[in-house]
Amino acid sequence: MLPKADSNDPTMPDHEQLLLAVARNRDSTAFRALFDHFAPRIKAYMRRLGADSSAAEELVQDVMMAVWLRADRFDPALASASTWIYTIARNRRIDRVRQERRPELQPDDLMSEGGEEPTPDHQFEAAETAFRLRAVIGNLPPEQADVLRLAYYEDKVHAEISAERGIPLGTVKTRLRLALVRLRRAFGEGA
Amino acid sequence: MTVPAHHPAPELLLDYAAGSLREVQSLLVAAHLAYCPDCRAQVAELEACGGVLLADLPPEPVSDTLFGTLMTRLGETAAPSSPVAAPAGRSVFPGPLRRAIGAEPEALEWVRVVPGVHLSAWAVSAGTASACLLRMASGARVPAHRHTDSEMLLVMKGGFSDEFGAYRVGDVASYETHTPHHAVADADGECLCLLVQDRPLVFTGPLGWLLNRGFRF
Ligand SMILES: [Zn+2]
Repeated sequence: MLPKADSNDPTMPDHEQLLLAVARNRDSTAFRALFDHFAPRIKAYMRRLGADSSAAEELVQDVMMAVWLRADRFDPALASASTWIYTIARNRRIDRVRQERRPELQPDDLMSEGGEEPTPDHQFEAAETAFRLRAVIGNLPPEQADVLRLAYYEDKVHAEISAERGIPLGTVKTRLRLALVRLRRAFGEGA
Repeated sequence: MTVPAHHPAPELLLDYAAGSLREVQSLLVAAHLAYCPDCRAQVAELEACGGVLLADLPPEPVSDTLFGTLMTRLGETAAPSSPVAAPAGRSVFPGPLRRAIGAEPEALEWVRVVPGVHLSAWAVSAGTASACLLRMASGARVPAHRHTDSEMLLVMKGGFSDEFGAYRVGDVASYETHTPHHAVADADGECLCLLVQDRPLVFTGPLGWLLNRGFRF
């Protein structure tokens, strides 16, 4: 059921493999496995961002439908499975909950000549970077992790985080920038 | 074309990747990304961060019937047609802005602010933020104004300078609240910018009283 061509690659992580199976073979067993893993996490994400339980499940359906229908656009060199699914969930929430359009960059929008995009060293680099990134996030000082999570989970821009927590805007910016520097290191190590 | 030298603040890239940035500011960030490989890489990293945070959320069980309902819906849904190809020919606007405006500069209506300086009648707003286009003839001078909130300019054609620096195509100039600045378009051609601001501005120059009446700028 899983694509044979890649099964000899020991570095290939599960979820990426499952998504490729959905893309190539419309593999519903692989899709079920992805659903079992991601649906409860997408629900948790939507709940954190203010959706009630039934609205969150509606959004889970929307996101997982998009995963099935657009799996052929997933590229494991560019994004891990959870990153790719995260961007779909983020955009669906903006569409449906905030009722705004999400201005997105599309692949043929680049204004500079030539594809100067760095090419990843190998097919599953994105998933390996995610392992390093997880460690970096886990080791952030609590106040930096806090402002980061608020940005992702509470629909707060940094100015709102400042107002809500009673922390000066400059302090919020400093914490975010320190967190971003640490996050960047996780990517630098791969280069 | 060279790589941009002036970028949106890192927090804006984070807010954009996290999905908390509102539509108007997101338009400027997405438009800058069309020019800037560095910021594209940073946004990709921040999205990877979102992916890790999503994967690490404590799961909330979904209804037993959800998968079945989903598969029924999928059975009734045709595969999406491949995305419509972008219209042929080069636009002066980066893709995200081209899709938001739906016309080229020549087809837009413009309102003169002072000689050589025009604002587009096209504008979008959401909450306290709004965006429109700013066009400066070569060498034109934008009247001094101070801000009651932040302002950002993305250069899409030509260039301009002010007391903080020189800005070329793809660059983002950011001004904090209460920062007076005097933009002058480069002498070698027209300058076209996307202007995003968060509150009406207050003009300080001799023409200020007039501009404050007639124009939000
Ligand atoms: Zn940039």
